[in-house]
Amino acid sequence: MIAALRAFGDRVLGRGEAAITVPIFDGALKPNQMLADAEIVGQFDDANDITTDGKALLVADGEQVVRVGDAGKAEITRFDRGITALHALPDGGFAVALGGAEVRIVGGPSDGRRWTDAGGTAFHAVNAICNRSDGTLAVTDGSRRNDCAHWTHDLMERGASGRLIFLDRGSGAAREGADGLEYAFGACASGAETLVSESWRHRLLAIGPQGRRRVVLDRLPVYPSRLVAAAGGGFWLTAFAARTQLVEFVLREPAFRRRMMKEIAPEHWIAPRLRSGQSFLEPMQGAHLRTMGVLKPWAPPRSYGLVIRLSPEGTPLYSLHSRVDGINHGIVAAAEIGGFLYMLAKGPSRLIRLALPDIEKEVAA
Amino acid sequence: MTTPILELRQATKLYGGVPAIESVDFSLAEGEIHALVGENGAGKSTLTKVMAGVVSLSSGTMLIAGREVVPRTPLEARQLGIAMVFQENSLVPSMTVAQNLFLGQEKFYNRLRGIYIAAQQFLQSLNFDVTPTATVAQLGAAKKQMVEIARAVLHEAKVIIFDEPTASLTPEEKKYFFDLVRELKRRGVSVIFISHALEEALLISDRITVLRDGRHVVTDDTANFDRARVIQAMVGRDLSKTLYAERKAHVRPPGERVLTIENLRMAPMVKNNSLSVFAGQVTGVFGLVGSGRTETFKIAAGILKRDFFHGGEIVLRGRPIRYLTPAPAVRDGIAYVTEDRKVEGFFETMSIARNVYMGLLAKLGHRRPLVLAKEAEAVGKKWIEALNVRAIGQDVKVVELSGGNQQKIVIAKSLVQEPTLIVFDEPTRGVDVGAIAEIHQLIDRLAEQGNAVVMISSYLPEIMARSDRILVCRQGKVVEEFSAGEATEEKIMYAAIH
Repeated sequence: MIAALRAFGDRVLGRGEAAITVPIFDGALKPNQMLADAEIVGQFDDANDITTDGKALLVADGEQVVRVGDAGKAEITRFDRGITALHALPDGGFAVALGGAEVRIVGGPSDGRRWTDAGGTAFHAVNAICNRSDGTLAVTDGSRRNDCAHWTHDLMERGASGRLIFLDRGSGAAREGADGLEYAFGACASGAETLVSESWRHRLLAIGPQGRRRVVLDRLPVYPSRLVAAAGGGFWLTAFAARTQLVEFVLREPAFRRRMMKEIAPEHWIAPRLRSGQSFLEPMQGAHLRTMGVLKPWAPPRSYGLVIRLSPEGTPLYSLHSRVDGINHGIVAAAEIGGFLYMLAKGPSRLIRLALPDIEKEVAA
Repeated sequence: MTTPILELRQATKLYGGVPAIESVDFSLAEGEIHALVGENGAGKSTLTKVMAGVVSLSSGTMLIAGREVVPRTPLEARQLGIAMVFQENSLVPSMTVAQNLFLGQEKFYNRLRGIYIAAQQFLQSLNFDVTPTATVAQLGAAKKQMVEIARAVLHEAKVIIFDEPTASLTPEEKKYFFDLVRELKRRGVSVIFISHALEEALLISDRITVLRDGRHVVTDDTANFDRARVIQAMVGRDLSKTLYAERKAHVRPPGERVLTIENLRMAPMVKNNSLSVFAGQVTGVFGLVGSGRTETFKIAAGILKRDFFHGGEIVLRGRPIRYLTPAPAVRDGIAYVTEDRKVEGFFETMSIARNVYMGLLAKLGHRRPLVLAKEAEAVGKKWIEALNVRAIGQDVKVVELSGGNQQKIVIAKSLVQEPTLIVFDEPTRGVDVGAIAEIHQLIDRLAEQGNAVVMISSYLPEIMARSDRILVCRQGKVVEEFSAGEATEEKIMYAAIH
């Protein structure tokens, strides 16, 4: 009762959960142009994830897994459905999520093992896979209602049905590590815990083997996605879009959202996108985008590109940005190999990279 | 050699047998700008108060145009052509700007409209953007200072003494002020200029006199001085290398995000302001007067209130907070060290120990219903030693201390609460160079201990020397952030103005 009254009061006064506020990009998240200036490695049709086996970079592009090296691109294997997640396994082979509904292992000692459900519930939007030191796979299933391609629908429906699932490669057992997550998108092992991005809550959780949750990083000004361990310790956390006050406002107006979803094409919703500026029908973000013919890089972004370097404790150390006036938006995956940080910009569907020494040098400056 | 317009010979002033100034010789030529510098407690204010008739000499003589005079009141001094613009505001807060300007010059019948028109024209002639009909209480510190200056100019004094005139002025206002001083010089008015900003003294004065511990150290043409020589004369040791290092050699990495301010609003001063403060760092906040920087942090500390509806969010260590009074903020570890220590910083007639103890009581609240005299003494003694407060004892009233030591008491009053987020608002305003160095060391030490430290300052060298990251405020919000490495005075000022 008290909680209900408080929620009502918050709504009337615009505070607490109803405060239409967005954290600022400052401190370690201070904007720069590093992603915008990154080298383009390759253009893909429908790239969804990247991973590395330590020797080469693998890209999940549509239905195929592609090896990217100095010699160019080479297809490794092809599936009957689109790949929504890809992870190279340390003992050989890789794990893929097909159509968000099945996790399969290809190559290595567990070759051919597959999972389609956990805890009696079928997979629906598996979007990230990581290997844990005990040999299990940690998998995030973003939503039970909306598949990976319909993530915007899940946000507008205020979806909270994401799961963390542990898959035992040895026994084939599958169990839920956490449920009710507001779009789980990205997992990475961190000691006994598993770090999970909860996109709609703008935070990073550490989930223990028994499901105990700990907030590692919250109040991010972005929607976090996959994360990977960094060679120098800590993690690379990607973010596929930035929050704006306009979207926060829309998320607090259910009637408006329902009508918008019913009457307007999804690409023109007031919602974050992986890329923007394609049509004049796109909604403005509550501020002038263009002044004297120049696109303001600090205008509220509809799409954004961000990678955050985290310490082993999860504290942001620095970040790489592609702002409103950039194009490398919708960063959904990163991988470190050969002294380079490779990132997948899903907005323009391209693979980009930055040399790690250059990043360190730029950050130090 | 022409006769000095004002001269003091062997001037000595004793307070309770202790000399505030001792055997000081001072002379001021006609049309001269004479800077008087020295650490707090060096005797500058006492010397000028003697000239302005606020206090009388214990021994020695004062001459005006070669004639010995003994002004016993400020009115007598003013009749002799000496006016003083005090560091402490001497305006009547309940009266309007125009009424304050003409205070003491009223006729039998005063037409208010006439006063306002005259004041308007006069203020415009000085390029001062102050509304003559505004009540002084409504004005900010800078505008009050402008009214003080205008009043001295209006009285057509032959000698005008400015005590820290630029402390609360913006860079733009300072420029106008310097132009005004030069104009006064052109008219033949002599100016005595007390300032802790040595660059200003070196920039504007013709001669500089340095006092130390109540004694005259040196008087020379400004051309013969540089910053290092002035500082050495002031403190007897070379501080110039450590005081404002050009740039921090080591930037502390950010720790935990302690404070997050999201879209904060408090009309009309704070407009959709957002920022973060991290542990283990000094976050410098720069902005011109009226940029909303002080108000933002006063809201965080519960001193001011944000807008009631949709006023934004303040998050302290992941927990949304909204303080209606400062007490809960103090309990949560937030300390705000005020920019206006005389009004908000301490109880001037209470002892050092009681003032510091007051800070502890604010933290303990109802858990300490009784004032324990022995505890107060112990707390006072501890902090006098910890912050190197120069006072005869802990029972000394704060009003009797110099500006630097008063500031240390204000800081001690906050640090006794063991805060983890400390906001220093203009921590070295009106503070001598010796105390500045000590306060800077303290700020660094607090950050290195893992506290989140915010330093609001209008003084660019201070911001650049001490901050690990620099936020620039303009028109009620943070508009730019610089890392310590990339910041330059030009970049910061550009962001603050454009």
